[in-house]
Amino acid sequence: MKYKKWSEADKIIEKFEPNIIGFLCNWCSYAGADLAGTSRIQYPPNLKVIRVMCSGRVNPIFVINALQQGADGVLIGGCHPGDCHYERGNYLARRRMAVLKKLLEYAGIDPNRVRMTWVSAAEGNKFAEVVKQVTEDIRELGPMQHFKRDNTW
Amino acid sequence: MVDEKKLQDAVKKTVSRDDVKYVVGYEKGTYGFQVTPSFAYDPKDADKFIFSPLCVYNLAVFPMLEEKPPLRKDQEPDTRKIGVVVKGCDARAIVQILQEKGLNREDVVIIGIPCTGVVDPKKLQAQFPENGKNMDIKTGKDNFIITIDEKTHTIAQDKLLDEKCKHCEYPTPILYDILIGDEIKATKKEDYKEIEDLEKKSMKEKWEYWEKQFERCIRCYACRNACPLCYCKECMVDQLSPQWVRRSVNLSENTAWNLLRAFHLAGRCIGCGQCERSCPMDIPLMQLNKKIEKEIKELFDYIAGIDPEEKPLLAMFKPDDPEEFIL
Repeated sequence: MKYKKWSEADKIIEKFEPNIIGFLCNWCSYAGADLAGTSRIQYPPNLKVIRVMCSGRVNPIFVINALQQGADGVLIGGCHPGDCHYERGNYLARRRMAVLKKLLEYAGIDPNRVRMTWVSAAEGNKFAEVVKQVTEDIRELGPMQHFKRDNTW
Repeated sequence: MVDEKKLQDAVKKTVSRDDVKYVVGYEKGTYGFQVTPSFAYDPKDADKFIFSPLCVYNLAVFPMLEEKPPLRKDQEPDTRKIGVVVKGCDARAIVQILQEKGLNREDVVIIGIPCTGVVDPKKLQAQFPENGKNMDIKTGKDNFIITIDEKTHTIAQDKLLDEKCKHCEYPTPILYDILIGDEIKATKKEDYKEIEDLEKKSMKEKWEYWEKQFERCIRCYACRNACPLCYCKECMVDQLSPQWVRRSVNLSENTAWNLLRAFHLAGRCIGCGQCERSCPMDIPLMQLNKKIEKEIKELFDYIAGIDPEEKPLLAMFKPDDPEEFIL
């Protein structure tokens, strides 16, 4: 089965709206996103949030599966180091993502498609800034054409 | 290289112990340069044990393949040990399994062999495609001496040596109960040259390279089954709910499988090369494993399979781990 080649992908970019999956930790980033919403801070609507109990819950399978199912990027949000509700979840996630990003880069998938951020429950502004930046970056990278699933039923 | 008589004696002594079930080693295959795993349940089985430069395969899988069926009401569990003949690299696999508590130290008897390097069967096959009965190979000073029907050939070691042996840093087993022969000092150093060459290419070139490799994958999972460290009771690709990687063979699922397989060995792969050797489609899986090995050495200063007491890489952390990629 052949997939769309790079040249075709380049043409699509013009009207391209990135589709970003956000895995946000229940205690900090999700609350940060909530604060951004209640404070009526504007940020791009491209982020689709999935709430997880801790950033340590985010298995690299989730990330690769999201990219397969048509996400153009993945954002993982956790508490600041030392603030994790479960004491060490975000540290473990940090290690995992560091390795995963290097692996993706080596396989030829831009590591900027997988981003990680620390957002606390009080940082609604920072959350909006991060989402803006990630959306811009992925808009520049274009749609994820590497290993998208062609049947998604 | 290694005195086979000494090896056989050690195996005989080990098998005759009451608390040892069997010993896994190598024996000569049916024809050609083949070498197959051999199981000694009896002291007399030990006579066919050999050790030659053909013994590339990693036998550390066998203790992990041991089935533990559910017991009847008053049945005693079989607590006998399993003996394994290991080279330097295979011993690291056992150390890594011990570190993860996949095995208990008292479940295995490790018969260590200091190894000066083994040949790559594929390279050997390409040079000597004969399939005779009387074929043998020995290690000379810096060459291999090959005997085919009483004709001898000598060939430089570099031409036949397996990739892993070219950069071997641990020729002597780190952990052993019995060591056959004398310890060997490591003289080689891992330089990751092949990895760095590929790293330098652009994103597009890298993806085109891997696309070509992953497209060929037939998802036989031979890499997983041969790997001594892939010992999960249920692999994530066999799971049906949730089914993370679908069973269809296409680029998307193949890429997901190969990347996740490599990731699941992050900080665990000890570089025996068994996955690549067993791959029927010749996908360079070791390039993925080596890349992760290189990165974790740089990022976390961690080497897999060295210390059985250390904690596994992804199960621990340091507060000052690198985080320049975090927004």
